[in-house]
Amino acid sequence: MAFIPSRRKQHKTGPGEVRMQLTSMMDMFTILLVFLLKTYSTHGQLINPSQDLTLPVSDVQNPPEVGLDVTVSSDWILVNGKPVEKTSNLAVINGYIVPKLEVALERYAEEGRKLEAAYGTKFSGKVTIQGDKKLPYHLLIKVLATCGQSNFPNMRLVVYQREG
Amino acid sequence: MAYRPSKRARRSIETEPPNIAPMMNLMVVLIPLLLTSAEFVRLGVIELNLPPAAAGPDGTVLNQMPIESQRKLDLTVTITDRGFFISSAMAVLSGTVQGNPTIPLENGNYDFQALSQKLYDIKQRAVNQFADADHIILMAEPNVDYQTVVSTMDASRTIRLHGQLEQLFPDVSLSAGVF
Repeated sequence: MAFIPSRRKQHKTGPGEVRMQLTSMMDMFTILLVFLLKTYSTHGQLINPSQDLTLPVSDVQNPPEVGLDVTVSSDWILVNGKPVEKTSNLAVINGYIVPKLEVALERYAEEGRKLEAAYGTKFSGKVTIQGDKKLPYHLLIKVLATCGQSNFPNMRLVVYQREG
Repeated sequence: MAYRPSKRARRSIETEPPNIAPMMNLMVVLIPLLLTSAEFVRLGVIELNLPPAAAGPDGTVLNQMPIESQRKLDLTVTITDRGFFISSAMAVLSGTVQGNPTIPLENGNYDFQALSQKLYDIKQRAVNQFADADHIILMAEPNVDYQTVVSTMDASRTIRLHGQLEQLFPDVSLSAGVF
């Protein structure tokens, strides 16, 4: 005689403990983690791109280096984040030297040389220049000439690297 | 009357699901950490090769040119609103029509591809002939924008031929020119 399992007894086990299904979430997190680890760079952000300018795009592969930061946005020229001269005043200056920028740069050069004398950290005259991609050439060359004049001959132009 | 079936035969081996709570904690901490430090735009720098400038009497900049007795190419690319002019110490390379730019505008845009190709031809002939076969000087009209200057630098630094990058003139200098 066949045994018929009791229906009543089966239902008695009840709905027990409901566990959250975390497996799919784990999958997602694992993929995210791998992606982020791949894009992670050990040297971090050396240069913070300014908010009010768009850097030009280039094919160069050279990684950024630390240096004095000169920013030429559409309104102001900034040295290490401090505004020194209005960009609109640049066009009316005769010759290639921007006096206020020169004064600011000379001060940093002076500090750099003092550091070199006191602690032996080499003053290399490195300067990184961030310019808006719409900046006309005759303004750019004035900034570059002033940097060269004020003991910062080691100029680097900051650009966005092209994708791919 | 039948026997009661064996419980041992029917009992499935219960598998305890792995405890992933600590793993989740780890993820929750690691992901925000990496997200905040991730760089989504990659920055690069272009190095400029400039000799230290010396001031002239009226505030103009004179470049101290190294004294050399060797033959110099003095390759110069001038960016104008009509296109690129390529010139050397000896001559200006003319375009297809006399007086036109060497590389004229292509549909109103600068033709960087053609510039690279032309410079590649020059490089092939100049290499081992001139002391400054790695050097190029860039000039531009006052109102040429920064992006164009940077793209011209890219075009004169390297060329992509058959999927491979070839060096052209990696030492790029900027010249103020005469405005």
